[in-house]
Amino acid sequence: MTFFTMAVLAFVIIFILKEALPVFREVSLIEFIFGNEWMPVEGIGKGTHFGIFNFIAATVYVSFLAMLIAVSVGLGAAVYLSCVASSRARTFIYPFIDLLAGIPSVVYGFIGLNVLVRFFLKTGVHTGSCVLAAAIILSVMLLPYLVSSSSESLLKSRELYLKAGTALGVDKWYTIASVIIPASGKSLLRCMILAIGRAMGETMAVMMVIGNANLFPTLLGKSESIAAVIALEMGTAVNGSTHFHALYAAGLVLIVIMLAINFGVKNLIKKL
Amino acid sequence: MKIKGLLIKLWAYMGIVIIFMVTVFFFAYIFLEGHSVISREFIFEAPSGMVLGSEGGIFPAITGSLAFTLTAVIIGSVPAVSTALYVVYFCKKSRMTELIHTVVQCFSGIPSIVLGLFSYSLFVRDLNFGRCILSGGIALGIMILPFIEVRAEKTFRELDPAMVRSAYALGCTKTHTIWTIVLPACRGELFSGIILGGCYAMGATAPMIFTGAVAYAGNPTSLFKPAMALPLHLYLLVAQGHTSLDMAYGTAFVMMAVILFSNILVTIYARRRHYTWNQQ
Repeated sequence: MTFFTMAVLAFVIIFILKEALPVFREVSLIEFIFGNEWMPVEGIGKGTHFGIFNFIAATVYVSFLAMLIAVSVGLGAAVYLSCVASSRARTFIYPFIDLLAGIPSVVYGFIGLNVLVRFFLKTGVHTGSCVLAAAIILSVMLLPYLVSSSSESLLKSRELYLKAGTALGVDKWYTIASVIIPASGKSLLRCMILAIGRAMGETMAVMMVIGNANLFPTLLGKSESIAAVIALEMGTAVNGSTHFHALYAAGLVLIVIMLAINFGVKNLIKKL
Repeated sequence: MKIKGLLIKLWAYMGIVIIFMVTVFFFAYIFLEGHSVISREFIFEAPSGMVLGSEGGIFPAITGSLAFTLTAVIIGSVPAVSTALYVVYFCKKSRMTELIHTVVQCFSGIPSIVLGLFSYSLFVRDLNFGRCILSGGIALGIMILPFIEVRAEKTFRELDPAMVRSAYALGCTKTHTIWTIVLPACRGELFSGIILGGCYAMGATAPMIFTGAVAYAGNPTSLFKPAMALPLHLYLLVAQGHTSLDMAYGTAFVMMAVILFSNILVTIYARRRHYTWNQQ
């Protein structure tokens, strides 16, 4: 059964690869990745273009922005959970955070659309949908993963160092700030990478608030992520057409980016 | 020195308060806006109206979602639990364990939309299943597999090794020990892992947009027919604009209620087991 599981994964990747490769017969790899014109269906005599640079940029931009917001809130909460809360409080708070993880992504998108986008509309952003809104919604989605995994690793270093710190007469909070957090830096980094992976693959919530326009991402402008392109256009792409294969290729690019970040950081952590 | 500590303190309290507020806000918002729509007709009738979904209910979407979730749970949990068992009890080489962990990690890294692409080209197109519950369920099953595997493996590793060792000492074979000691002892945790995985599958839209879920269908009768699903229904209602906004709140309400209910169930179950363990 284990080998079956392993085989399925290999199969998934091979399959995506097989479906993606035909696109490079018509579009060169460089053009595909660095081009920013996306015109899958022949328009007004302009021909078709397949360049996903804007989508890649949007995916990375939104994910990192979301990460930044999520870390600034989540790490604080993780510190609270691991160093302040009693174990009774923890058994109460963890399920609460799991609850946040259980909310379907469509509901996140729905709330984002009804609360955040309306808010941005009032503050004067055109149509309200923007990269910032997507990043905020995404950061809320990342919070539970970030908090539960990073509080676990903080808990470990707390057990190692907090008592020693207290015995030396150092203020508890100072110990946390200058010993415990730096000591678990590596594993915190690992938690962040896992969360980034999640952020990049997220489709629905981002798609519903980001505005879906092929533009280079700016903080308050519309944009479109790779996953959103696939979800929106798969239904209309003709089976076997270049457009169809291009969407698979976009999916492949998404996987490659995520795996690259994953393994890159893993090796980096090993070297540190 | 004092300031650094104070800042961290402030940060910690703010973080936890923000998380609390956000969670409460999400549930309160949906429940407040959605509760007025909920009625017996809404739950038990099919959607209707000039613009689909602006009248009527969501019953086919509920049953459809159930069908998808069940298929996904069956397809995902069996290989997940067996992989976890293999890694913990049968795998001797640490390199093999590492390889499996890497693969599982990659698995969980694959975006759900790409799993949808995979399932579309293989099952819907090449194997000619068409858009159906099975193709969607397989995509969802692959999606929740790593989720369940990680939890199951953690459960097996945390099981008191004394129990397993005593079983070996009494001359039980490995298989016998697993069936009679390990699995029953971990039943609760496995069960909650699978329930949470099911919730995850129920809420996912991306893998089934083009593999199994459709805008309108009757109650699911066969694995080889398409069905409606709650999250996709919600998405379509939202995409239609303001005519069906109330219904969208109602649909979100139902989904949030299911999530809340299963989470409470899992928490209570886990706590009760924890309690009985401590009493012994």
